[in-house]
Amino acid sequence: MKKYDVVVVGAGGAGMQAALNAAKGSKLSVVVLSKIFPTRSHTGAAQGGINAALGYRDRTDSIEKHFKDTVKGSDFLADQDAVHFFCENMPKIISELDYIGVPFSRDVNGHVAQRPFGGASSPRTCYSADKTGHAILHALYEQCLKNDVIFLDDWFLLSLSVDNGIFEGLVAMNMREGKIEAIQARAVVIATGGFGRVFWSRTTNAINMTGDGTAACFNAGIPLKDPEFVQFHPTGLASTGVLLSEACRGEGGYLLNKEGERFMERYAPGKMELAPRDLVARSIETEIKEGRGFGEGMKSYVLMDLRHLGAEKIMERLPHVRELALNFEGVDLVNELVPIRPSCHYMMGGIHVTDFQTLATPVDGIHAVGECCSVSIHGANRLGGNSVADVVLFGKFAGIGARQTAERRDFAPTGKLEEELKRWREEFGRMRAKKSGIKFFEIRDRMAETMWYNVGIFRTETEMAQALKTIDAAIEAYKDVYIGDSSEKYNMAFINYVEVGNLLKLAKAVALGALNRKESRGSHARADYPKRDDQHFLAHTLVYYDGGNYRLEYAPVKITTYQPEERKY
Amino acid sequence: MMNSLTIKIKRYDGEKTWYQSYILPYEKGRTILWSLTTIRETLDSTLVYTSACQHGICGSCAIKVNGKSFLACQTPLDKVIETFQTTELIYEPLANFTVIRDLAVAWEPKMAKMKKIKPWLIPTEEGSEEKGFLQSNEDFHKIASSTDCILCGICASECNQLHVNESNFLEPFIWNRAYRYAVDSRDKSPEAHVGPAYENELWKCLHCMACVTNCPKHIDLTEEISSLRKMSIRMGETKNQGARHAFAFFNDVKNNGHLNEMMLPIKTDGVIKTAATKLPFALRMIKTGKINPLERPKKVDGIEGVQKIYDYAEEVENK
Repeated sequence: MKKYDVVVVGAGGAGMQAALNAAKGSKLSVVVLSKIFPTRSHTGAAQGGINAALGYRDRTDSIEKHFKDTVKGSDFLADQDAVHFFCENMPKIISELDYIGVPFSRDVNGHVAQRPFGGASSPRTCYSADKTGHAILHALYEQCLKNDVIFLDDWFLLSLSVDNGIFEGLVAMNMREGKIEAIQARAVVIATGGFGRVFWSRTTNAINMTGDGTAACFNAGIPLKDPEFVQFHPTGLASTGVLLSEACRGEGGYLLNKEGERFMERYAPGKMELAPRDLVARSIETEIKEGRGFGEGMKSYVLMDLRHLGAEKIMERLPHVRELALNFEGVDLVNELVPIRPSCHYMMGGIHVTDFQTLATPVDGIHAVGECCSVSIHGANRLGGNSVADVVLFGKFAGIGARQTAERRDFAPTGKLEEELKRWREEFGRMRAKKSGIKFFEIRDRMAETMWYNVGIFRTETEMAQALKTIDAAIEAYKDVYIGDSSEKYNMAFINYVEVGNLLKLAKAVALGALNRKESRGSHARADYPKRDDQHFLAHTLVYYDGGNYRLEYAPVKITTYQPEERKY
Repeated sequence: MMNSLTIKIKRYDGEKTWYQSYILPYEKGRTILWSLTTIRETLDSTLVYTSACQHGICGSCAIKVNGKSFLACQTPLDKVIETFQTTELIYEPLANFTVIRDLAVAWEPKMAKMKKIKPWLIPTEEGSEEKGFLQSNEDFHKIASSTDCILCGICASECNQLHVNESNFLEPFIWNRAYRYAVDSRDKSPEAHVGPAYENELWKCLHCMACVTNCPKHIDLTEEISSLRKMSIRMGETKNQGARHAFAFFNDVKNNGHLNEMMLPIKTDGVIKTAATKLPFALRMIKTGKINPLERPKKVDGIEGVQKIYDYAEEVENK
């Protein structure tokens, strides 16, 4: 059996930061498992930037302002102690990234450049043109090369073994060899990213954002926090859902309806297009619903206009966005309007983290960081520029936390781990041998369709009840799936089958959390409960999975400074 | 009017290789990746390829179509059909990579090579972990394009030198990383990146431009390789075939306004090596009148103008 002091699962920004920091100054054996080659990770898709109150562009900016903006943006559901810790530490993180060579765009004084972003009261979003996540991901990977971090590429997490609350290790598949193995560990850091693929084709997420680590924790008895909060990014390309950065609005882009109006005037007269994402996404959908959009049904859209920025600014600050619009919508932003529509972008909810300084979960030995978890600093709606910030900062602290855990915690017995290993090996054998049944692609599409129509941007009791029924039926049908590939080596059909299973499990938690939250808050907009209800729902949802049954509890939100007030922009 | 596409895919299961054909309905405005996804979800779920972001930033999905390498997610099939004037397409894994299964290739051996050029910042004393760096906008622009690289592997797949010399010659994306750190104003040790580049056959690039032409991020790789060579010369690496060859060109044109082809091999390789390897070839050239050993090179008319261009170029270079 393989044995490591610390196993990191996922090689995006969070995972690599965790690995670098877990190994720093220690003799611990650290390994990173990833189902893809590290630089393919979704951190690289982050475009617009990373928030830190450095005050370079606006001297009046401060940690307190970043703190207040994030709390307000979260619709008061974020834990304020965690948010403060986050905002306070971000300026130093930018310097650390600069020091490892991240190619940040610069202002006239040679400082890291900053731009305005949605929901921010000062321009504090640091950036590298419009490929900030890409720049950071590659710099972190290069640091891993420098520090001889061991990667197990093409290894897929199947499950975490927890016996009566004691973490033993994990079961994973070496995809290239087709071998399923158990790995004993003192500590694990789950950094597997979000699960936006519950909406399958209506998302900006990479194809592999299937919440494998989140589902593994959920199966192991760790609850999901606030899974109902799903961020829809306002500016996805209309025909493909491909993301056009918030930097488009940050740099001054307009949103126009069929009448040629800048319709944000109706919804956020103060901030206009620079209102936070939840509000802008709802505004666009309302325009479409009320007949002021273009196109019909799934093909409806509004327009974004960047022409007034001029070619030079577009080429300097938004070159990647321009290429995307050219390649995927056939439109040149320099002199044309681009059709856009909201697309699922980010999961505010995830694995329940109980300590924001170590990223520990309720199970000793298991840490979680990044989009797969919920600390929670984003609450009911994440601000643009706070997600790469989240992974880089908390990735570091998760690494330090896991190092401390591994230094104090011994390896646990492996009784359950061996059972899990045996179960997965049998499952792989069974699926390779199975010759008929239902294709998992079909089940996946049924799930995604019901999620988009019934648990999307606007939600109602009846529709969500319908979604739950459909998902339950899909979970039932999943038992008779066949994968159509009997190979042992690099059996992607088997991997995708497990991924769809993970998505189904998480989709149900999203729908249940949403159904039970009878209020509107942040990204969660109920047509039947249009008001926020602090009396009953100023609380984190915790969804448990006990022996196949879903159970909901609520936990208090940590409020240190700002009492909830009406959220106006 | 096209109705269908025939897509022939090179398959590999770890042991045997074969080509398998699939027929897909033609749909306007689709991408190469769409065809792979559609084959996998409707015709054959054993097909393996890699893909992630689907919008040209993760670098996973490059493959060869009819012998040319493309990023599958952002390349329209219509463009491919127009380029090759056929609806019969052949998909193969990238060249110059180890294939794992079907169209999936291994990157670990490439990263082991990339480590040679130290692809990380060696920070100057002007920066610190606490304060970061100051960098001018101009200096940022020196690394803006090279840091666009997504490690898709297309440059390596198209590289003509790698086709014959995979063991030592570095992949274009590795030259790019060496360049990227060598010109970063925050790096105190450009030679730490240029040195290993030089030692790994920097001068063997053919300047065929295949990498540049196909780079989906439009990175000027050949120009970067030229810069690395210049940096290696400035570091004192002048006693090598490549540098001598470059100096022969440089001096001939500067002094006379044209190249003395007769002397070029001697200046590059020395008299003995030239005599040993190029004598029969030179004799044939003399015989056919291609070169005249008795001719003394004359300065071209307007040589002063040529020299002014040289002075100007040097001025720009040293700015």
